[in-house]
Amino acid sequence: MTGHEDELIALLLGDRRRSPALARWLGTLAGRRELRAYRRSLDTLQQLYGNAGAAPRRIIYYCALPTPIIGRVFVAASETGLVRVSFRQSEASFVAELGQRLGADVVRSPARTADIVHQLRAYFAGERRRFDVRLDLRHTTPFQRRVLMAAARVPAGQVVSYGEIARRIGQPHGSRAVGQALGHNPIPIVIPCHRVVAAGERIGGYGGGLGIKRKLLRLEGSAAASW
Amino acid sequence: MSPRVLDASMSRRRLSLAELTERHRGEIVGYLARLLGDRQEAEDACQEAFLRAHRAFDRLGPEANSRAWLYRIATNAGLNAARRRSHRAVRAIDVDPDALPAAAGPSLERHEELRAVRRAVEALPPRQRAALMLRQFHDLGYAEIAATLGGNEDAARANVYQALKKVRAALGGVR
Repeated sequence: MTGHEDELIALLLGDRRRSPALARWLGTLAGRRELRAYRRSLDTLQQLYGNAGAAPRRIIYYCALPTPIIGRVFVAASETGLVRVSFRQSEASFVAELGQRLGADVVRSPARTADIVHQLRAYFAGERRRFDVRLDLRHTTPFQRRVLMAAARVPAGQVVSYGEIARRIGQPHGSRAVGQALGHNPIPIVIPCHRVVAAGERIGGYGGGLGIKRKLLRLEGSAAASW
Repeated sequence: MSPRVLDASMSRRRLSLAELTERHRGEIVGYLARLLGDRQEAEDACQEAFLRAHRAFDRLGPEANSRAWLYRIATNAGLNAARRRSHRAVRAIDVDPDALPAAAGPSLERHEELRAVRRAVEALPPRQRAALMLRQFHDLGYAEIAATLGGNEDAARANVYQALKKVRAALGGVR
């Protein structure tokens, strides 16, 4: 079996020609199955690694949306999903920061961002309480990703503490690290880090400013808005 | 040999390092990306490799295969980067697959196959992975692979075959 297998690999890699013995084996059921399996292995390798040398520069699409309570909000998405939500920032600095941080070309495209813009508009109108979008978090660390996904599961109208998030991701002593990871949340609002607060009914911090954190909590009808 | 001729040959060699790295940069970055599975790390490792190439260029004999020589230096830089990474953190294991975007397009079965093969490649010993990529995507013969990775031709061939067998095993029973 191994002898045939080596011969088959040699044949497929162009190392050796088909011997009569190999040809006979390839006529059997097992031989045909292995030929198919090895061809498929090479095809799959080609699909996964064939273009590694020519990885094109990524394109990030963005758009701005005016909101009644926190001013202009920018959203940006890759082909994979939402990469960034930002506010209290100029368009120029948003675009520059994105391009630099993600190493991508940044293109304005209302069409490519229509879905998330639509959902955000409904959220700010008080007509939507959860988002249904794909996220692209490849530029975050595994730890940050776990923190963000835990925060994403906190429903509108509720809040949890940093310590509780730390506990939920299995790092009960990591509330400070949790706070830092949330402070660098690339997709605020959609990943609702504003629903994470300090212990003892204190509002905690917010990258976008405490005023905005309170406004978002008030919009969601959360009692924590008045802490 | 007169000093003048010596100078000329030296300046030709100096020039050709710049040419060499320019000419092969694309394939070397591609190779490192295949080795490390990450484009950014590949760019960094390539930069490190070319720095080392710069330092070692004077020791390169005139008859040496300069492309294989570059690949050898790149391999060392790539294996170093992989080693540093394995010390730094558990990476792939830490990622929650459900939090990752599903690939659009291929069927679920095909998606599973792609994942299985990727996992198998990531589990390969670095030398086997390097040998496989060099043979499959960079058209290096076994003698050149041996020159790149060390060892003899038989070992180079065995590394490629072993790697391919593990990839095939990851596919299990193929329809």
